[in-house]
Amino acid sequence: MGLTADLNVSVQSLLAATEAMDVTTTNIANQNTPGYARRTVILEEAAPSGGDGSTTGVDVKAIQSMRDTVLDLSINSATSQQNMSSTIASSLAAVQTVFSDTASGSIGSTIDAFFSSLQELSTSPSDGELRSDALTAADNVASSFQSTAAVITQAQHQADQSVVQETSDANSLLQQIATTNGAISLAKNLGQSTDSDEDQLSNLLSQLSAIVGYNTVNSSDGLTLTTSDGTPLVVGNTAYALTNSLNANGFNDVYAGGTDITSSIQGGTLGGDLQTRDQTLPTMATQLDQFAYQFAQAVNNVQTAGSDVNGNTGTAFFDPPDTTSGDATGAAAAITVALTSGSQIAAAASGGSSGDNSNLTNMTNLQNQSIINGDTPTDAFSNLTFSIGNTISQANSGATATGNILTQLQNQQSSIEGVSLDEESSNLLLYERSYQAAAKVISTVDTLMGNVLDMGVTDPGY
Amino acid sequence: MRVNPNYTSDMVNLMDQAQQNEENAVQQLSTGRRINLPSDDPAAEAAMVGENSQSAAVDQYTASSDSLTDVLNTANSTLNSVTTLLQRAVSLGVEGANGTMNQTDLNSIASEVSGIQSQIVGLANTSYAGQYLFSGTVTGTAPYAADASDSSQIDYLGNTGQNKVQIGTGLSVAANLPGSSIFSQSGANVFTALQSLVTALQSGDSSSIAAAGTSVSTALGAVNTAQVFYGNTVNELTTNETYLAQEKVNISTYENTLVSADTATAATDVTQDETVLNATIAAAAQVNQQANLLNYIQ
Repeated sequence: MGLTADLNVSVQSLLAATEAMDVTTTNIANQNTPGYARRTVILEEAAPSGGDGSTTGVDVKAIQSMRDTVLDLSINSATSQQNMSSTIASSLAAVQTVFSDTASGSIGSTIDAFFSSLQELSTSPSDGELRSDALTAADNVASSFQSTAAVITQAQHQADQSVVQETSDANSLLQQIATTNGAISLAKNLGQSTDSDEDQLSNLLSQLSAIVGYNTVNSSDGLTLTTSDGTPLVVGNTAYALTNSLNANGFNDVYAGGTDITSSIQGGTLGGDLQTRDQTLPTMATQLDQFAYQFAQAVNNVQTAGSDVNGNTGTAFFDPPDTTSGDATGAAAAITVALTSGSQIAAAASGGSSGDNSNLTNMTNLQNQSIINGDTPTDAFSNLTFSIGNTISQANSGATATGNILTQLQNQQSSIEGVSLDEESSNLLLYERSYQAAAKVISTVDTLMGNVLDMGVTDPGY
Repeated sequence: MRVNPNYTSDMVNLMDQAQQNEENAVQQLSTGRRINLPSDDPAAEAAMVGENSQSAAVDQYTASSDSLTDVLNTANSTLNSVTTLLQRAVSLGVEGANGTMNQTDLNSIASEVSGIQSQIVGLANTSYAGQYLFSGTVTGTAPYAADASDSSQIDYLGNTGQNKVQIGTGLSVAANLPGSSIFSQSGANVFTALQSLVTALQSGDSSSIAAAGTSVSTALGAVNTAQVFYGNTVNELTTNETYLAQEKVNISTYENTLVSADTATAATDVTQDETVLNATIAAAAQVNQQANLLNYIQ
């Protein structure tokens, strides 16, 4: 006990209050900084000073960053999921318009019109005008296959362009993450605070999660970042450089430090674009090719079994490439009408007269036959419509559902990590009072000490 | 639990959502459609493909029925004229067979019958839109032509082909009758009968004239029988078109239930979403005016 001890304790108080106010200031200043988690001051009773230990001051034990890393991870993973879903929905949006029931010149409507024109022709099989109408309708079928295939290819190329941009963005973030990782382990070794580096890292990870999904593992030399299936992206202060390289299909694959990681990328806008480009659209393109190919083959089979208006045996109506090997690849983009004149339509049975329509009946019957992988042409188009619509609809509802979860998680994150001005104002007041009180103690001790020093003086002069 | 101090992003979300809902409802009202793209309702859009195809088919069946009706009506009225001419030939035969006429009169009757024969040849060669109606499926060739070597002096150049035209799902009708089933049936050949009447009249033999007149009557009966086919088919087409019109209405009704907006609900939604939006904006404004602790610390 003793005045000197009181003085020491008060000075400690002043320092503690100052540091606490510093933290409050930092919190207020970074209220809107992305990645920032609010700090709190943890005070503790100091080691006793003074002989009998009855006077104990205060020490700042720690400045704690209120970061919930598990919550941050959940938010980042939800962000990756949501971005993947919304990217899939938006990159397919252009494709689905050609399947809408209001779209003019859709495959479904041109095939309907083709069969209608053949039926009209069957009422007057040698009518030249009706024959050219049927040929025009066939041309329209070919164009609708071509334009739908083109829309799919274009969507693939757009997704590919996004892949290039996203790879470069992700690469720059990975480099920064590696650098920050290095700074954190250095600071740890030096026993310095890593809080502001952690804030920076958190912000970078959050940005990265929008582009690509990842897993993290904490190791002695900092954070290890891998793709969802464990392919490393960042280990300690080393980032695997993300680069692009063209594959056999003319699209950009993604390489990490020279290893092709395209197929292991999940989540984020990059994951969404890759899924659209490499999975969804190729599947649709294959279905469309088979549709075009089998449709052309079925019509050709009937056509070549009949006779045209001049009594010649019918020649192929449509010309999908490579009719011999049975390989439908590229058929939708390349299908054309092989006939050059309406007179070549084989309306008549083989050897039949110019006015015979019996082969036309066989051709119009194709409309209700299961000629496209076990489906009628109408059902085949209907299935494609459902498939694209459902993919987008599921991506949309996925994005909405993850969005709701994300909002929930962000609320929770903000309630733990967010800076409240009211709280900081109240803290400010608290520490201000604390500082004032400690200062008051010092001035009181000063007075008392003065009194003691003045005890031998007759006239202290006051 | 600590309260989330940053509620503004939540409010922005809520406002976004309310605005999005309102836009959807307004779009439904303005387009009259609940669905505009496959993703709006994949199953309904997939069903629409089938319905549109069905609708196009019904339109085509109707158009085919129309075209066919025109052709068949032309054929039918042609046969009406043929019937009238044959009836005249029959009465000329009766006139010639009663034995009161001299050969000069009989000869002039014979030349009238001969004229009737060539008129009927002309009618049997009637074409519609460039297609001969009675030559089977050889529609580019006139079915009847003069042939001195034939007993009837007239040759049938058509075939016995008959086209069928689809006028409904799994429903088709015969679109023509070949001349061989109308004018030149064996035992009831119009031209042979008329030719024999001409020959008999020129010979002046009453019993031959009577016999020839009977064979013209038989041929007339055969033409009348053929005519029934045209009448019946036209009736069938008319009935079918009525059915198709109803079918079209049914399809439209179903299509409406698939894609049409429920305007009453959409209108209510607009009002509700507007209210939500306004309330959220008002709340946001209120919250921003709310004083915080800083206002009270002096």
